[in-house]
Amino acid sequence: MFNNQNILEYFNQLPTLLKIVWIGSVVLFILILFFLFYLYYLRTYLRSKELISKNLFTQYENDLITYLYLGENTSQINSEQQTIIDKMKVSIQNTFKRTILISVLSKLKSDISGEMALAINQLFIKTGLLNYALKKLESKKWNQIALGIKELTQFEITNVYNEISKFQNYPKQEVRNQVQLYYVSLFHFKGLEFLDNLKTPISEWNQIQLLEILQKFDDQEITDISPWLKSENDSVVLFALKLAKIYNQFQVIEILLQLLNHKNKEIRVSAIEILGYFQVKETKEIVKSNFLDRSSEEKITFFKILQDIVTADDEAFIIENTLNPNFQIRFLAFQLLKKNHIEKLHELKQNATEFDNSRIFNFLEVV
Amino acid sequence: MSNLKKIVLAEDNSTLSLLLKFRLEKEGFQLLIAEDGKKAVELIEANAPDIILTDIMMPYISGLEVISHVRNKLKLQIPIIVFSAAGQEEMVLKAFNLGANDFMGKPFSPNELVIRVKRLLI
Repeated sequence: MFNNQNILEYFNQLPTLLKIVWIGSVVLFILILFFLFYLYYLRTYLRSKELISKNLFTQYENDLITYLYLGENTSQINSEQQTIIDKMKVSIQNTFKRTILISVLSKLKSDISGEMALAINQLFIKTGLLNYALKKLESKKWNQIALGIKELTQFEITNVYNEISKFQNYPKQEVRNQVQLYYVSLFHFKGLEFLDNLKTPISEWNQIQLLEILQKFDDQEITDISPWLKSENDSVVLFALKLAKIYNQFQVIEILLQLLNHKNKEIRVSAIEILGYFQVKETKEIVKSNFLDRSSEEKITFFKILQDIVTADDEAFIIENTLNPNFQIRFLAFQLLKKNHIEKLHELKQNATEFDNSRIFNFLEVV
Repeated sequence: MSNLKKIVLAEDNSTLSLLLKFRLEKEGFQLLIAEDGKKAVELIEANAPDIILTDIMMPYISGLEVISHVRNKLKLQIPIIVFSAAGQEEMVLKAFNLGANDFMGKPFSPNELVIRVKRLLI
């Protein structure tokens, strides 16, 4: 029968390589056992946390709905509502519980409007969640600051404008995005004043979000966008160009014409596009004057807008560009000829030698 | 037997569902809540509601599929109000084409919803 002594003797007699294999196997076995127990513990912990979170969520949901209906017919906080507020105040001292309560409030706030939405904003203040959001602004972590601003935006806290403005040119873009959303969500077109002093770029995604927010408001009277079109910050100019188009800012056409020679190509392309949208005929002379020096994007955009503002005196310019090395420009030039000077197109087709052009003629179904 | 008007509410935001449940029950309706489209279809088939309130974006079966099921498969002509978030204009048009009677863009006022429900049930 084996005992410990025998096992040790047997082990000592083994060659070194086999000893190493045995030791390795035992260590691995212990490690596997350890990880199995750890996995079991982790799974139990996460499941219990999820359950607690779910129960708390349901509890806060019920508290919130009760709070809202208790105050439905009165502007004053009654004693039952105050009890709920006091209960929440104690509860949110715990970060985990606070996060859950904020998620319950946010979830409802994003889907309802009117008096109940205002009551949720009030609850955010009265429970002290506002102070926690303001504390996040003092954090050294950028994500905490962004989260704080997001909460202040969602619960419409307008009187912290100055505190938020400190982050207007913050190095991290996510924080700047939240600042811009705060301004526009709560101060509408007046909130766009931040563009006057903005030194950092506005991301394309944030520009889209800002425009979407602006379009939700009943009052669509936009402030003067001229200073932004003249901004040193190219992203501000690009954003102002979008505003010019959406809000039909015909009064800034002179500035738009100046932007045709802006140093930034993207701005020049947008200016051509918007002037075409406004059907401003002066655009043609300015672009044509240095057409060869312009980028392909500008040339293509110009030919696209020419479809709407073409006149008889553009014929020579269009014919000239039927020989343009860029296929797309050549195609647009032929398309313009088909629309406005079909006889000239027939003439060109008969003399066509280039393979590419015959493809264009076939596509345009020139007979 | 209860003669309360039955409403099937298909909405995946549980807090909003709870709020609307309280509000509409207070107005004398019986609320049947579904947290996804699949459950909504089951509730509609089992309870023959007087009106359906449905969100467009839901798990498993979308609000559009719920409308299509009610109108094309069950051949029911009960009123349907659709909830939509911003940027879902195309979906709203599709909902109307499928037979929805009204729509409310989120965020909406629960009081306004009550008025619309009552108007459709007159």
